[in-house]
Amino acid sequence: MILISKRVEDNKTFVLDSFNNTSDLIHYEFETNDNKKVIIFYIEGFIDRDLLDRDIVKPMISNKENRDIKKIISISNLSEVYEIKEVINKISEGNVAIFINGNSIAYLVDLKKWEKRSIEEPLAESVVRGPKEGFVEDISSNRNLLRKKIKSNNLVFEDYVIGEQTRTKVSIAYVNGIVNEDVLNEVRKRLNNIDTDAILESGYIEQYIEDNKASMFPTIGNTQKPDVVAGKILEGRVAIFCDGSPHVLTVPRLFIENIQTSEDYYIRPHYATFLRSIRIFSLFLTILLPGVYVALQIFHQEMIPTVLLVSMAGAREGVPLPAAIEAFLMIIMLELIKESGIRLPRAVGSAVSIVGALVLGQAAVQAGIVSAPMVIVIAVTAIAEFTVSPLIELLILHRLVILFLGAFAGLYGVTCGLVALIVGGLSLNSFGVSYGYPIAPIGKKGLKDFVIRFPLSSFIFRPKGIEKTNMVRHTSRRKK
Amino acid sequence: MKKKFILLISILLLITILTGCWGAQELNTLGIVSATGIDIEGDEIITTFEIIKLNPSLGSSRSDGSKNVRYIQTRGKTIFEALRNTTLVFDRRIYLSHNQVYILGEELAKKGLTPYFDFLQRDHECRETAYLLVSKGSKAYEIMGFSSGVEDLQGNYIRDMLKNNKFTSKSVPINITEYFKNYYDAGIQPVVGVIQKKEKKYEKNMEMKNKDKSILSVEGAAVFNREKLVGYLNGEETRGYNYVRNKVKDGIIEFPTPSIDISKNTLLKIGSNVNNISNLDIKEFTVVEIIKSITKNKVEIEDGKIILKINVKTKGMLGEEQSNIDVSKDEVIKTLEEACSKEIKKQIEKALLKAQKEYKIDIFGFGNLFYRKYPKDWKKIKDNWNDIFSEVEFRVDVKTDIIRTGITNIPSDSLKGE
Repeated sequence: MILISKRVEDNKTFVLDSFNNTSDLIHYEFETNDNKKVIIFYIEGFIDRDLLDRDIVKPMISNKENRDIKKIISISNLSEVYEIKEVINKISEGNVAIFINGNSIAYLVDLKKWEKRSIEEPLAESVVRGPKEGFVEDISSNRNLLRKKIKSNNLVFEDYVIGEQTRTKVSIAYVNGIVNEDVLNEVRKRLNNIDTDAILESGYIEQYIEDNKASMFPTIGNTQKPDVVAGKILEGRVAIFCDGSPHVLTVPRLFIENIQTSEDYYIRPHYATFLRSIRIFSLFLTILLPGVYVALQIFHQEMIPTVLLVSMAGAREGVPLPAAIEAFLMIIMLELIKESGIRLPRAVGSAVSIVGALVLGQAAVQAGIVSAPMVIVIAVTAIAEFTVSPLIELLILHRLVILFLGAFAGLYGVTCGLVALIVGGLSLNSFGVSYGYPIAPIGKKGLKDFVIRFPLSSFIFRPKGIEKTNMVRHTSRRKK
Repeated sequence: MKKKFILLISILLLITILTGCWGAQELNTLGIVSATGIDIEGDEIITTFEIIKLNPSLGSSRSDGSKNVRYIQTRGKTIFEALRNTTLVFDRRIYLSHNQVYILGEELAKKGLTPYFDFLQRDHECRETAYLLVSKGSKAYEIMGFSSGVEDLQGNYIRDMLKNNKFTSKSVPINITEYFKNYYDAGIQPVVGVIQKKEKKYEKNMEMKNKDKSILSVEGAAVFNREKLVGYLNGEETRGYNYVRNKVKDGIIEFPTPSIDISKNTLLKIGSNVNNISNLDIKEFTVVEIIKSITKNKVEIEDGKIILKINVKTKGMLGEEQSNIDVSKDEVIKTLEEACSKEIKKQIEKALLKAQKEYKIDIFGFGNLFYRKYPKDWKKIKDNWNDIFSEVEFRVDVKTDIIRTGITNIPSDSLKGE
């Protein structure tokens, strides 16, 4: 522990050495009217220069009487520090450090001001009905967005600094009195255990703290929408904000969250229920369809209705590749188009999709390289996967597994693959909560928000899997 | 824990050995059969396969008018041998799972099916829901390749005709499972569907392009004594058979309109004059459409004599009425119901008499009923049941209930303006 020296020159050399004379560290020396030497440090472009000049430099220079510094500098977040290491840390977070000769105290003023993106609608989670605002990269803006949703004094943020080099600010948010204490303690423990030099995105945190790193199922939720985070932490979850990332993590995450969207609660229950059943249907469709199609085609021709078989077989006439290879090729082509569509500049992206559609859809069929039903199957698979977009990584990978099993062992293989997937999913835990809730273990209260979305007024209890202590949602009911 | 895991994996691996349908086959290595004909010549079996010829734009026959099918014929001592011989003359493996019909030549049917049918039961590819038909008066391959319907594939064409049986009940859709059920059961003999070519009778200019002079018909049924064909039932007798077997679900009954008592009718028939009434004696016909029909058969021993009781309850709807009676009156409907019952009874009796007196074979399963009711007595008579059956007395009781009269109840010759 190195304390601040009384000689301002010593401090100056120490700070400059600590920063290795980096060019964006600005230091400015001046003397006050009472001939005291003052030196200030800040990082260029990180702070509000106008405020610095007006509220710090000018009053200090014009100061004639030997007064307390707090009476000179009229900024509310002025703090006193005795340790030089802390000063150095704070400078890189956007503080202005003030050293006064003959004083063993450094003053820190938070004048952070930097360029940030304005609040926009997140492209990946757009809704028809519901708020359109999304998180940005700046953590304080993000926390404000959440505070705007939950104005209760029970909303608590806890800050952590993670990453030796990046010194990323991470903060967890929860509603005191609702949060599941076990989960909260587990989150604290795991965040403290992270040992890394860099956190560049909340995805880093996710990978450090997730339960089962081998499983393809995501056990930590992420969203870009403040209303979603508010909804989740009001059910007893914990949210993790990470500076520099518009994706906020929520834990614990259950499997059903993959088929729930915030819009389900904004629209009326009938259609929400219908949409959820469609999502579950397309979940199975997108995993199983290519595998089942290939399995039926090469192992179980007797199971296909005759007319369908005839048209399927007719389409396969003259196709040079075996059905399994054909399906694999088409899936790879689809992923190619998707990947290039994301990576390419937007102007070129549309060209890729046109070429892709033409090459895939028409030319390949006309040239007889793939059969038309296969194109339909893969296209349906691709469309279906976007309805359950939170699971997309799992879906794409497991689809290939099922295809492989189906091509080698028929429906037996497909069944094995599906059973393995379901068992693997249900055996997971997310921060001590069973991943399969409310199906396994079955939970009556949770089932109200499963495939059938009951009316909001019937959501009297919070889902039991997540919430432990404070089960009742409506205060009016609590009194009875 | 580790042991359990290894055990689980090994169990999963073991199951792969148990699967009966191992072995992948690409669709474009298969010749999908839609109809099979089986004939016999000397001691050689001739199999004829109708194979769907696939071309990428299947759906309608091609512009040159040729069909989307191929026919191949092979010989062998057994069906399996004949089947495998197809690979010598055809480029695809014969795939029987989608075979819709098996057409049996008359000669083969007369010789007995059993030695040739083991394959159909044993092989996993043969679908047991495929229909069996006897080609009446011809070889099976003479019927094959002949289709006067919309469907190009003869297998589908014949299958659909058999499925439409419910509209007339004049044919019997019997599949392999049902055949074997009747074949093995005590006290019942199998009946199989019939297919035959019939002369086409057209007006001069109708369908001039269609040069085929005959059409296919599935009317009737073939009667078997265990495995051998002994004779045929015609359309009406087949309906009688279907009635006794409780297989009439739909269909129509046509009968002469009963002459209704004139003195009563003058009151009933409002708006018609005396001249019209006198015309009632002329034979006109009424049609009743069957909505629901239930048959209950009973075998009873009365005074040491076996009596067969057939009890039919039919619900129907008036479908067509040629004469001008007022069907809105209860009395008229009652008369019609009685007449309808009489007609059904007549058809049932015809079928029963034909089986009893002509073929002396119990195709209705009364022996089976007897066996269930009097198992001890059955043992004594089971060997000559068919002889006993040909002598027993039967009582047919039919009750018809006309519950609807269609969307009109105005007599056809009601006077204008009334």
